Amino acid sequence: MENSRIKQFARDNQVGMALLISAALFMINIVINPASLNVNTFGSIIALTLLLCFASAGQTLIIITGGIDLSVGAVMSMAAIFTANTMAGQGGQMPIVIAQVIPMALLVGLVNGLGVVKLRLPAIVITLCVSNVVTRLQYVYTQGLPTGTTSKFFTMTLQYRFFGVIPGMSIYAIIIFGIVLYIINRSRFGQQIFLLGNNKNAAYLTGVRSEMIEIMAYVIGSLLAGIAGIIGAGYLNFVICQSFDSYTMLSIVAVVVGGTLLIGGKGSYLGTAVGSLLLIVLGNCLAVLNSSDAVRSVIMGGVLLLLLAVYNKEKPIRQ
Amino acid sequence: MLEMHGITKRFDAVVALKNASFEVRPGEIRALLGSNGSGKSTLVKVLSGLVNPNAGEIRIDGNPVKINNSQESRKLGIAVAYQDLSLIQSMNVIDNIVLGMEPTGRFGIVNRKQAEAQAKKVLERLMVDCRPEELVRNLPPSVQSMIEVAKAISLKPRLLLLDEVTASLHHNEVDILFNTLKDLKKDGTAIVIVTHRMAEIYKICEECTILKSGETAAKGKLSEMDLAEIVYHMTGKRPDAVTQAPCNLHETEKEERVLEVRNLVILPKVKDISIEAHKGEIIGIGGLEGQGQSEIIRALLGVNKPTGGKILYRGVDSKFKSPAQAIKKDMGFVSGDRNKEAIFPIRSVAENLYAGKTTKGALFGYLGPKQINGFALRAMNEFNIKAGSLKHPANSLSGGNQQKLVIGRWIALAPELLLLDDPTKGVDINSRREIHKILKECTDAGMTVIISSSDNSELLEVANRIYIFYEGRVSAMLEGENRTEEKLVAAMMGLVSCETGGEAIG
Repeated sequence: MENSRIKQFARDNQVGMALLISAALFMINIVINPASLNVNTFGSIIALTLLLCFASAGQTLIIITGGIDLSVGAVMSMAAIFTANTMAGQGGQMPIVIAQVIPMALLVGLVNGLGVVKLRLPAIVITLCVSNVVTRLQYVYTQGLPTGTTSKFFTMTLQYRFFGVIPGMSIYAIIIFGIVLYIINRSRFGQQIFLLGNNKNAAYLTGVRSEMIEIMAYVIGSLLAGIAGIIGAGYLNFVICQSFDSYTMLSIVAVVVGGTLLIGGKGSYLGTAVGSLLLIVLGNCLAVLNSSDAVRSVIMGGVLLLLLAVYNKEKPIRQ
Repeated sequence: MLEMHGITKRFDAVVALKNASFEVRPGEIRALLGSNGSGKSTLVKVLSGLVNPNAGEIRIDGNPVKINNSQESRKLGIAVAYQDLSLIQSMNVIDNIVLGMEPTGRFGIVNRKQAEAQAKKVLERLMVDCRPEELVRNLPPSVQSMIEVAKAISLKPRLLLLDEVTASLHHNEVDILFNTLKDLKKDGTAIVIVTHRMAEIYKICEECTILKSGETAAKGKLSEMDLAEIVYHMTGKRPDAVTQAPCNLHETEKEERVLEVRNLVILPKVKDISIEAHKGEIIGIGGLEGQGQSEIIRALLGVNKPTGGKILYRGVDSKFKSPAQAIKKDMGFVSGDRNKEAIFPIRSVAENLYAGKTTKGALFGYLGPKQINGFALRAMNEFNIKAGSLKHPANSLSGGNQQKLVIGRWIALAPELLLLDDPTKGVDINSRREIHKILKECTDAGMTVIISSSDNSELLEVANRIYIFYEGRVSAMLEGENRTEEKLVAAMMGLVSCETGGEAIG
C-alpha cells in the first residue's frame, strides 16, 4: 500500500521527484565533504544550472514536438567561438557577435527543420549530421587554436554575485525564462507544438500548419542554443573548439528528467529547470568524489538510461 | 472442403461476427456478400490468420484446424488477395510475387532465375502487362491489383479468397481474371469472391453466402435467387424497382449555394462526382465502404489533391493545399477515426475543445489558460459533454464523449461548412442522438453540413438530401419523399444509375 503510493507519486509528480533527488544528492555531497557547504558552491550550482537551462530551452521545445536536437552542443560551441574571437577581450563588440551568431543559428535550425519535415529524415540523423558539420567548421574557423577571451564587462555581468551568492547570470535568466515560458505556455505557437507532438495527423487535420510549426521549433531551438553559447562563453571566459559539446546530452537528460515525454506532446520548461538542477548537483557530487571526466560521463549515461527506462512509458499514437 | 461454424469475433463492444457459419467445396466459386459492417472482411481475416475469433470452429477436410497467423493459413493452402493490397511498394514485381516462398538453392540462397521464371509464368497466365523488374509503386492501381491476385494464385492454393480485388480493375482485366478463375475451378480449387458488383457475381459465381450484422443471413444457389432477394438478405429491405434516379438538383432558388463540386476526379477511387450544398442544409453521403466518400471529404478539406474537376466554395474556385487553408476559410472537419485523426489523447479536455481555435490568430499572440478554459467550459455545458474535469486528459473520456468533444470543437467556432466523415462510428446510441440534435440546431442557425456515413439509418434521419456513391460516381441523389431505405439500398448496390439530364422527373 505504502509502496504503491510512493510509486504513484514517482510516476505522477516527476518534477517533485527530481527536486527530491536533487536535495538528497546535495545532502550526500555535504556529508562526504562538509567543506562544500558554502556560498561559493551555492553560487556556482545556480550559475551552472541556469546555463544548462538556457541550453535546454530549445531542446524542450523540440522534444515537445516529438523531435530531438543533437546539434545543441555544436551550436553553443560555435556561438561561443564567435563570441570569444570577436570580442578578443574588447568591449562594445556584442552587436557584431549577435550579427554572427543569429544567422549561424538560423541556418542550422533551418537545415535541421527542413531535413526533418521535407526530407523526412529522422531527427536524430539529420541533427547529428548537422552537428558534425558545425563542429568541423569550428576547427576551420579557428584552425584548432584557442580563441580570445570575452570582454571583461560581459564576463563581469555574468560572474558577479549579488550578496555573494546569486550570480549575475540570473538577470539574463529572467529575460530568457520570460521569453521561453511565454512561447511554450502562453502563445498559440506553444499550444500548437503540444498538439503537434501529441497527434501530428490530428493537428494537421485541425488546421495546424504542421510543417511550418515543426520547422520553426527547430529554428527557435537553434537560436536559443546560440544565445546559450554566447552566455556560456562569457561565463567561462575561455573558449576552445567543442567547449560545450557535452551540453547536447545534458540538455536531453535535463528535459527528460524534467518530465517532458520523448515521444512528444507533454512537457514543461520549469520541469527542465528542475532537471538541470538535478544534473548539476549530481555533477557537483561526482566532482567532490574526485572522479575523472570519463567516470562522470559513464555515471551520467547510466542515469539517463535509468530515467528513460522509468519515465518514458507513455504510448505513442499509431499513425 | 472448408467449413466454419459458430464463428464469433468481438472488438471491445463491437460484435463483428456473431455465430457466423460458412462453407465452400472444392471446384466451387462462391460469393461472400454483405453490406457495410456485416463482417465479410472479418471473416476473410479469420481465414487468413489476421484475426483470431473468440469462438467457433474451422474444419478443413473435416479436420478441425486453428489458424493463429498468416503462415499457418498459407500452410493450410489458403491464399488471399486484398483490395488494399498486401504488396510491398518499394520491391519489384518478381520479389513481391515470390515473397515468403522464394525458391531456394543450396544454403538457403534465393534462386533468382527460378523466382523470375515462377513470377513470369503467373504474370503470363493473368496477362499482366508490366515489366517483372519494375517496382510496384511505379505501376498503375489496376496492374497492382492484378499482381496481388497473381501473388495469391502463385501459391497454388486449395482455397483462394479474393477480397474486392475487382474494384480497381478494368473490364478486360476482369474478364482475364474470371477466365483464370474458371481454369482454377476445373483444377479443384475452392474460390471465394467478396465484391459489391452484383453483375460480376452472376457472371462467375454459382453459390453465395450472405452475411448481415455478423450473422449468416442466407446461403444458396445464385440461379435460384434474384437480385432483389440478395439485397433483401443483405439489408433487410427490398430494393426499389426503379432503375433510374435523379442525381442533379433542379434549379431551385431556395438558399445560396455554399458548395458546388463539379465532375471531381481523384484517382483511383473517385471517377466523376458532382454534388452541391446550400446554406443550412445537411447533405448526406452514403454508399458501401470505399466508394470515394472519404476521398471527396478530404479533397474539400485540401488533404487529397483532385486530378480533375472543380470545387466552388462560396462561389470561388477553391482547391485548398492544406487543411489549414480550408479551416481559415471557415470549414471544419470531424473525423470518425478519433484516435488517429482527431483526439489529442494526453492533452486536456479543455485543450482538445480549444484545438480548432488554437490554429486561428497570430502565432505568437497571447493564449492563456483563462481563454482556453472559458471557451471549453461554455462548450461543455452547451454540448453536454461529461468529463471529470477540464484538466483531465481526453483519453479519460468515453468514446461518445470524445466524439462530442471533437464535434464541439468545431461547432463552437460556427464554421460555414462542417465536414463529417463517418462521425458516429463506434459511438453509443445516446451520444449519437445528441450529435444529430446538435447538427440540426446548427443548420437552423445557418451552418451547412456534409456528413458521410456508413450507417443508412443515420443518413435517413439527419440528412436533407443524400448522395449515394457507387464506384466513384453518384448513383442517386435522394431528396424529400424519395429518402427511403429501399431507394437508398438500391442505389448503394449500384442497381440504379443516374438519369441523364436530371430534369426529367417533375
